[in-house]
Order: sequence, then C-alpha cells, then structure tokens
Amino acid sequence: MKCLLIASESAEVLFHWSDREYRQNIQEKYGVSQEEGEGLPAFEDILSTLFAPIIISCSTLEDSYTSFTTENNHIYVLHQFDECLYIAVNGDGEEKEDDLRRKLYVVKKMVEVMFGMVTLSGNLLRKELRPQDTEQRARLWKYLQSLVETYSLLRENDQSFLVEAVERLIHPQLCELCIEFLERRLVQQLNSSVERAGEEVLHAFVLVHTKLLAFYSSRNASILTPSDLLALIVMAQNMYPSNVDLDDMSPEVSNSCLTDFVFGLLEKAGRGETPVFEFVDPEIQMAEDSLHTLEINPPDPTSPRRVFLAISHKDEMCPMMPHSMYCLSLWPGITLVLLTKISSSALAISVYKYLEDFDKLEKRLHEGHGGPASARSPLNMQDIRSKMDKFIKSLEPHDLQYAQLQNVWAEFKSRAFSRAGSGFNKDLIPWCKNMKTQLCGIYRQCFLTDSLSADVTHRLSAGLQERAQAMVREKLVDWKDFLLVKSKRNITMDFPGLVHFICVDRATGQMIAPSLNITERTTSELGKGPVANYIKNKVWALVRTTRRYLQKGYSTVTLRDGDFYFCYFLWFENETGYKLQPVDIPVLADDSPPIGMLAYDYYNRLLKYYSKNHKGENVKCYELLTVHLGVIPTEIILQHCRQLASKLWEPSRNPLL
Amino acid sequence: MAELKPPDTRRCRYFFLYDGSKVRGEGDPTRDGICYFYPEETPVDKQDLLCGQLAGVGRCVSELSSSAVRILRLRRCKFAIRMKDDFFWALGCSMEVPTVSVCELLDHLINLFCFYNGSVRQSYQLNSKETLAAEWARYLSHVLSGPSELHYILQSVRTLDLTNVDPLLLLKAALILQACQRCPLVLAGCVLFRGRVVSTQMPPQLTIKVMVHESETYTKTQRSSGTSKPPSDGEPVSSTAVFLTPSELQYLQSAPVDKISSSHSAPEKEAPPKKTRLSRTLSDTPSSESTPSRPASCQSPQKPSFSSRTSGSEDSVFSLAPSQGSSADSPNPSPLSPIRHFSNGENADQAEERTLDESHYHSLHSDGGGVSQMPSEGDGSAFEGSLHLNSGATSRTTDCGNVASRDEKTAAGEGGVCCRKAKGHKAETRQPPSGSCSFNSLEESPLVPMALYVHRVNSLVLALLVEPRFMGDSASMEEVNHSSLASLNGLEAHLRAISPVAPGAAGPYLFAHYDSVQSTLTTNVSGRPGGVPEHPFVRATSLLHSHFFDTETLQEAIIRSAGTAVYGTRSVAQETYFQQHWGTMRNSGIPNQQDSAFSLPSKARHRLLKHGVNLL
Repeated sequence: MKCLLIASESAEVLFHWSDREYRQNIQEKYGVSQEEGEGLPAFEDILSTLFAPIIISCSTLEDSYTSFTTENNHIYVLHQFDECLYIAVNGDGEEKEDDLRRKLYVVKKMVEVMFGMVTLSGNLLRKELRPQDTEQRARLWKYLQSLVETYSLLRENDQSFLVEAVERLIHPQLCELCIEFLERRLVQQLNSSVERAGEEVLHAFVLVHTKLLAFYSSRNASILTPSDLLALIVMAQNMYPSNVDLDDMSPEVSNSCLTDFVFGLLEKAGRGETPVFEFVDPEIQMAEDSLHTLEINPPDPTSPRRVFLAISHKDEMCPMMPHSMYCLSLWPGITLVLLTKISSSALAISVYKYLEDFDKLEKRLHEGHGGPASARSPLNMQDIRSKMDKFIKSLEPHDLQYAQLQNVWAEFKSRAFSRAGSGFNKDLIPWCKNMKTQLCGIYRQCFLTDSLSADVTHRLSAGLQERAQAMVREKLVDWKDFLLVKSKRNITMDFPGLVHFICVDRATGQMIAPSLNITERTTSELGKGPVANYIKNKVWALVRTTRRYLQKGYSTVTLRDGDFYFCYFLWFENETGYKLQPVDIPVLADDSPPIGMLAYDYYNRLLKYYSKNHKGENVKCYELLTVHLGVIPTEIILQHCRQLASKLWEPSRNPLL
Repeated sequence: MAELKPPDTRRCRYFFLYDGSKVRGEGDPTRDGICYFYPEETPVDKQDLLCGQLAGVGRCVSELSSSAVRILRLRRCKFAIRMKDDFFWALGCSMEVPTVSVCELLDHLINLFCFYNGSVRQSYQLNSKETLAAEWARYLSHVLSGPSELHYILQSVRTLDLTNVDPLLLLKAALILQACQRCPLVLAGCVLFRGRVVSTQMPPQLTIKVMVHESETYTKTQRSSGTSKPPSDGEPVSSTAVFLTPSELQYLQSAPVDKISSSHSAPEKEAPPKKTRLSRTLSDTPSSESTPSRPASCQSPQKPSFSSRTSGSEDSVFSLAPSQGSSADSPNPSPLSPIRHFSNGENADQAEERTLDESHYHSLHSDGGGVSQMPSEGDGSAFEGSLHLNSGATSRTTDCGNVASRDEKTAAGEGGVCCRKAKGHKAETRQPPSGSCSFNSLEESPLVPMALYVHRVNSLVLALLVEPRFMGDSASMEEVNHSSLASLNGLEAHLRAISPVAPGAAGPYLFAHYDSVQSTLTTNVSGRPGGVPEHPFVRATSLLHSHFFDTETLQEAIIRSAGTAVYGTRSVAQETYFQQHWGTMRNSGIPNQQDSAFSLPSKARHRLLKHGVNLL
C-alpha cells in the first residue's frame, strides 16, 4: 500500500508511482462513486480527483501541511518543492514518516539528476515531467517509477543505502591495481581515441553490486559528491539490478519482473484503457504487459544517459552540470560506469551564473531595495547587461528558443535601462522571472532535447564502448568470482558478543559493515534466514532512531532493547586522528530534510558548521553503530566500540584503498 | 492552589470543535460549524480558515484511507485530531510536545467534557454554544494548567508527597473510602487534600476527571476567601451530575473489594441482619428510609437545598433513572450540623456498623415493596454490591492493609490485582490505533449517568461517585455522612498539621519518575518560570518518552549532546529519567568507558533511592 505523487498547484498529476495494493484500493474507492458500466478513467486522473482537496488546501494555508496519520496508521507525508507538491503515502506500516520524507527528497534528487536546471523553472519542469505525448509520458514515468522501485529496494536491503554512504570492497591491493588500470589504460585510451566524439571521460568506476571496487577521476575533473555517486549507483542498479532475493534469476529477468509488470498497467492507464489486472491471471497479465513494453522502443543500450551533477572546480561552481553516463555491464553483478564531460557543457555554467544574477535581482526587488545601486552587495547590472548581450550573440541563432530569449531580453532591457522604462522596481519582477524561464529554456534546448538519444555523433562510439568493456573484463576475469563472493562477505568481526556494526566516514561518504544477508541460501556473519532477518530489522530501526536523536542534537545514544544493546557515536577528528571537542549540534525541525547524504547532504553541512571554529583544520566526521548481545557488560561493550573506532580507520589513515 | 496556572499558550496553540453537520450546503458559512475555538480572541476569518481547511482535508484523507485522521502536522504546529460523526476536534500544540502526549491531551479533554456533560451531540442539542464554550474553556484551562512542562509530556494524577506523610494517615483515608463504599449506591471515591490525591479507589483516568471539579471549587473558594480556609459556613456537601463510560462503570463494579473470597464472608453476612431484625422490628417495613432508630443528628442541614438543586438540574437536562422518585420520600431534614454528629457520644465505628447493617438490610428486603423505587437494573447491582461490600467490611483488616499498600505503590496481593487492571486500562488508552477505551465516551455505547458527591472539610475533600438516586436517598446520604464525617475531620486536622516541605534546591541532578500504573509523577523539576537549566532535561525526557512509547522492547537509553546526558529507563510500571549536572563533562564524543555519561545508570540508582524510587 504505497504511493508517491507529484502534483502541480492546480492538482494536475506530474508523476505518480504506486504499488498494486494501493492502485487496487484507490480504484475500488473511485469505483464506488462511479456509475456501473462506465469504465474507470486513467489512474492518474483518479488520483488527481481524489487528492485534489488536499492539494488545493495546501496552497490555501499559510503554514503548509507536512503529514497526516490516520487511526489505521496510514501515513501521508507532504512537501512542497518550489511549485510542485510531493506526496508520499504508506498504508502497510512498512515505512515510517521519515522514510516517506526521505523518499520524497530522493525522488526530487532523481528529478534533478535527470533534468538539471530545468527544475528551477516550475513551468518548464511541469512540461518536462508530464509530456503532452502520451507515449513519451509513459516512457518517462516508467523510467522514473523504476528508479523509485530500485531505490526503495536498495534502502530496504542494502546497508550503504540505509546509512547513505558508499561501501567499498575491502581489498587494498586489488583496489589499487584496478584504479591504476582505470587511470593508465582505460581512461587514457578512451580520451585519446577519435571515436569519443568530443566527449571526455572524467570519472570511471567499477561496481560489484552496489559496492565500489575502484574509482578513478581524471586530473581536471571536479570531485564527485557522495550524493551524486549514490544517485548514480541507484541508476546503475536500475539498469543492471542485483536483487539479493532473486539471486537465481539473471539480472535481466529480475529487472523485467520488477518494472514491466507495473508499467504495462500504467501505459494502459495512460491510453485511457481500463486496467483490468485484478481479473486476469497474473501470468497472462505479465506476458501481455511485456508486449506493451516492447511496443515502446527500449533505449539503445549504447546510448548514454544525460545526468546533471554538481561540480565545484576552482571558482567555477555549478550544481547541475550536464554529463553523459555510460553504464557497461561486465558480468551480472559487476558494472563499469563512465562519466563524460560533453562538449558544450561550458554553456551550463554561464546559464547558471545568469540565473543566479536574475534570482538575486528578483529578491532584491521583492525586498523593495529599488535600484541595484542601493543594495548591500550591489549587482553590477551594466556588467550583466554587456555579458548577457555577448552570451546571446554566442548562441546559435537558429531556433525558436533563441528568438524568445532575445525578445525577452530586449524587453527587459527597455524596461530596466531605458529612460522610458520603469527602471528597477517591483514592476520588473515578472520580467526577471521571464528571463529565468528563458534561460532554463535555453539550457533545456542544449542538454535535454529528445534528439539527444538519437544523436549518434555526440557520444562515445559503440565500438569504443565495447572495447572499454572488453579491456576491463579481461583485466578482472580472474577476480570475477572472488569479487562476487567478497561483495557478500566484505569484512569479518572478531569481538565476542558483538553482533553487528556499521562505521561511516562522513567526510568521504564511505562506510564499512559486515554483510547482512537474509536469504536462505547465503550465509553471512550472522548466519542465515530468520535470525539474520531479525537483526537486520533491528539495525534498520536503530539507524532510524539514531537519526531522530541526531536531528534533535544528540550525538551519542545507547539503548538496551530486548536482548540487545545498541550504541551510536558521532565524533569529529582532525586529519592526524586527534579527537576534537564536541559541539552542540543544531537542533532541526521535524520536517527538516532527511539526515543522510543521498538526497540532501546533512553531514556536509554539519562538517561546515563544525569547521567554523576549526579554521585551517581538515575536520573529519565519523559515525559508529554497534549491536551487542544484552548480556555483555557495558564496560566491555564500550571497550569494543573504542577498539572498533580506532582499528577501522587508524592503521594507514586510509585503509580502504 | 497557586500551582494552577493559566493555560500555557506557548504549548497549546489552538483547540477547536467543528460541527460539520451545520455546514452542509454550498452557502453555509463555515463559522456556523465552529462550536468552540481557542484562543477565543482569534480573528473569525482565521478561525474559518483553520476549521474549514483542516476539517475538509481531514475528511478527504479519511475517505482515502477509510479511517479517521488522528494526527495532522503543519510545519510549525501539530494537531491531534478526533473525528466522530460530524464533529471534528483539533488540538494544536507546539512541535516540542510529543505527539503521543498531544493525542492524550485531546482525548482527555473530550473525555472530561463527556464526563461532566454527557454525549456531545446531545449537549449541543440541549444547550447553547456559549454555555458549552464556557465548559470547553474550563476543561482546556484545567488540562493545560500543569505545573511544569513535564506535565504535558507525562499526564499524571497529582498526589500528596508521600514521603512526607505518615502512612497511617493514608490508611485512614483508605478506610474512610471503604466505609463509604459500604453504601450500595456508592461506586468508588477519593480523598483529596489541597488539590492533591490522598487516597483513591478509582483508576487514574477517572480520578483526574473527578479532580477537575474539585480543583475548580477549591480555587474558587481560595479566590473568594483569600485564605486557605474555605468558608466554613458554606456548603460542605455538594453534588454534580457526571457520566461514566460503560468500561469505567464495569471497572468500578469489579473493584478489588469485590474479589474477597465469598467463602468466609457468607456466614458473616447472615448474622448482622438477623441481629438487626431482632433488635429493631420496625425496620422490617419496606419504606425504611425513616427508620426511627436512625439518629436524627446525622442529617445534614444543607440536604434539602442541594438535593433539590441536583434533582432540578438533572431533570431538566438529562433523563435519569427513575430513582428520582425516592427523593420525594426524603426524611425530615435534621436541624443539626454534621459536626454535631459526634456530640451524641456514639463512636464512629458503631455508627458505621449500624448504618451498614441497615443499608444491607434494606437492599436485601426493599425489592419486595419497592420495585417502583428501584430501577430493575440498578436493583441487582445494588444488591450484589451490598453483599460484597459487606463482606469486604467484615474482613476489613486484611482489606485495609491492601488498600494502604496500594497507596504505597507496592504491587502485591489485592493491590497487585488492581495494578494489573489499571495497567490494562492504561495500555488500551495508550494505543492510538485502537484507541477505543480511552475514547469510548465517543463510541456508540451510551454513557451512564452518575453523580459526583463532594463533601468538603476545609481543605480536605471526599469525592464519591454515586448512583444518581443516591442524592435523593437520604438514608444512604446519612449513612455516608455518618461513616465518614468524624474521620474526615480528624484526617483534615492531621494533614493540615503537616508542614509543607520547602521546595528543595534543585541539587546536582534532575529526575522525573512516572508511575504509569497510578499515573503519578515524582520529580524535582520545578517548572518555575525561567527554569532554563531544566529545559534540556525536559526536551530529552520528551524524546525518550516518545521513544519508549513507540518501542515496546526498549528498556533503557542514554542520550547525550555536547552539554547534556540524560538517562531514561522504564519497566512495565514506570518510567524514570535522570540527568546529572557535571562540572565539566568528560566527553569527546568517541566511545570511551571513562565517559561520565555511562555512569548515569548507577548514579541514578543511588541518588533516587532517597526519593523512594527503586531502580534495582
């Protein structure tokens, strides 16, 4: 009973995802109010009708809703991101309020990775999320829905998505070998090939399931943030899933199971047909759905995905810089990912700068500061004007978008700068907005148009991709089986009474933990089956609990719960391992962004907050969670924690590489 | 008392009751549906907006989920919601109050209303909005007037500081209650002193409800007289109509005294009636209210006034059991004041015994001729109650011991039974999803009209839940008066003599100990305005309490920020929170056995012993 909805202020559904139970439930609800014999309208229209009172009420109240809970424990979480209202619903008790809020933020993050700065314009984003063409809409929604499912699956089963930090395979020699290979052989060869068609490989990494074996960034690349890296792993997993529960199936099969079934229905709904799944034998339905899926051309596997990632490079800063992502499967469970810089990406930085300028100006005008001269940090509008003129000249003047931008800019100038115009006052605000929309339009035109996937000339050639794949395969073929096993048994524990632990380095966004495999066939440190599953649930609950306390400013938590004793510690060190004094951590509101790194980098902000009083020091932040048997004396437990805290990170200060 | 403060506006932002049935058509203005809105000075437009939007969205969500909305959060305010028929209640509190507490507060508020007014729908049919608005305001101010922030988090019955009271006095109070309970029309009672519980036979939820009436009259007399001594010539005895939920009634009817084994009480209950019959032949007549042997002195002079008052109000508003008719048979009012009761030289115990015998006799024999007087349903229960109460009295020594021990929080024997029952009750009320028990005043099962009989002796109050016809039954009233008056006076004198403990300096630690069975809170958190150092403790307590509520298996927790470490522990029956003030905390955030935070459990065990809290 799960549902997620993005709606515009006028209650138009911009995206929706729901599981079968929820769809059934909603259709029954709606069916009641429908005349017999009249077919049900499209599912999105039913949702829109049923949720309309909530959506409209949201824009009526000044203090907006954040959640509802009903007596049968259905939870609704709502969040307004700019002009879009996100709603997540759970009716089966599997997710709590904070899980739902996190899901909303993750979906928003995914939308940003997919659409970049277009998300800054509500108008354009609406069009982008809900294309007029129903087939296009079905394809887009299906993809976004599969991302939601993949993320949900990972968050429920994968520890690195539980704590939102990347897990590395612990095998220093192999890692080093692999990084060296990526650097000296792979990336060098790719970037010197003529078949790269103007693209430049910036990052290359190898994933074993969700764990990172090796990561290489070229010298002129910006650091890939943990947030973006986690989002890319979700996308890679979506393409080549490795579901722990479906070990026997090949990844392709499990993929289609996951997604096709769900989306066949959606397509029907999109076409105004009555989804009739409840009356049909599921297997027949599956087959039928697969057929529908085939109707929509599957994307060319060699075509890259456009992703928008944050860069900060010297003085250049752009939170949504276009990249191309190539996801190459080496073997089931092992994937090579390449991120390339595309030739025209410099334009994105310019657009971002102008967007910022107009945004500042708009705020200033809102505050009633009048002309830019009166502002505290004056915007040099004359400078912006000349730069903007140049920028427009530099664009290729051949399409509608360009002409529009030119017109709006001309109008803006005549209002702002000419004597006949009104100058810098509130009347200019709509024109600021309009300029922002036009800039987003240009950005969209350059980086997001549909021709992208068909444009074979601007991407690494299929041959080059194949060669890259073959090279890495050859290099890793002897290690393949070892890696797949290693990914399930990454590290072992030797503390009697210690049941489980997770250690996270928040400065680098990396974590290590013993595996928690819950299937019958695989055995982990905890054994297998129900016991492991029980512990797994405890660990998941513990992470939720400690986040709640951290949100309220508590950085140490110990709990005696049933037969277990849980500990959580968060602390700061400097680069040399010296433990720094704790400070009072900011207390956050209940509806503040989720604590984690994927959708919103809480720890990055925490580090910045802490570093204010430690200028010049490179501050590190660590977290340790442990689960002990309750019979172990507390002193011993604390001793274990202390040893773990030092052992895991001390030896070389960099044990994971 | 001075402890009662006006509602804390920082914590409670809004409370409203909205009646959707008044706003059906398109043109109906929203304000027609607003029954009560707090703060009352809120501009009407804003009231309209909040009521209309929240009720509308509440209905939409309820339809989507086929279940009423319970909690609704805005960014800066959280609402506990109750939806029943067309009524929509919302209590909005600041985000710092735990959600579970806001829900409990709202339920408590609604339950209070129903306790004193009966069904909400009916009340609004019979009374004007304004009259009932005053009622809501009254309950709201009571619910929100806890002495400290902790009282929002841990809803509790306020008791005397037991460490400061001679246990014999508690025993005495318990005895008074038992004596009163021998009257078959008396369900249960409690003894209050200066707005605090000395002894109670009722479950905590019910005691709290009864105390609202008491504390109100108490503060009124305080204000009017300006001294701690209420007007002695005022009305020492009063009554008010109240309504019990069927589950409350059931609980009271199966009170521990019922459970005394009937084996050894059976022969004893035979004997006294015989003796009575032998000694007083006249008492055989069915209309036994005016038994000649009854001392005239036990009649209170105020009797006619209050009985007419109650019967008048009851008749006009509620349809009560037909027992009202018996008030017509009221005996002649006595010219003597209750105090004079002692002047007749009769020893209180003798009087008790005699009245007991009589009442027992009446209930055994009145049904023949008095069918019209006794409602058929009430007849049976009264009869049964009489038997059991009688047996309870005969085995009084053991019974009293049990009651006393219950008061001293040891859960053993009979007290244990009571504790478990109370716990069960509580557990039910604390389950928001099912929520049936705490909220059954809104459920389909009808409320049962009862009366609350209050006898005041200076600052001491005896409050009894009685069958409505008790107020018209002068014999029963006399009986209760007889059995309690002397002891009440004595108890009052003793309790008054106890010098109040000066609120001790906060000391090097803060603690809060909540007995979830008896709903009592022991704490050294003062709640004084500007209690800044206490705020972190209260905040941590609030978080831990929510956590304990959500996680059944959680036993203890230590949480620490840079400056504060708080330890919380709970068992089936209690929750305890402890914070030590350190000069400097030894703490770098990393795991360290030397860390002072981890010595909190042993410190708490050691320190709290002297507060009567045993954490071993």
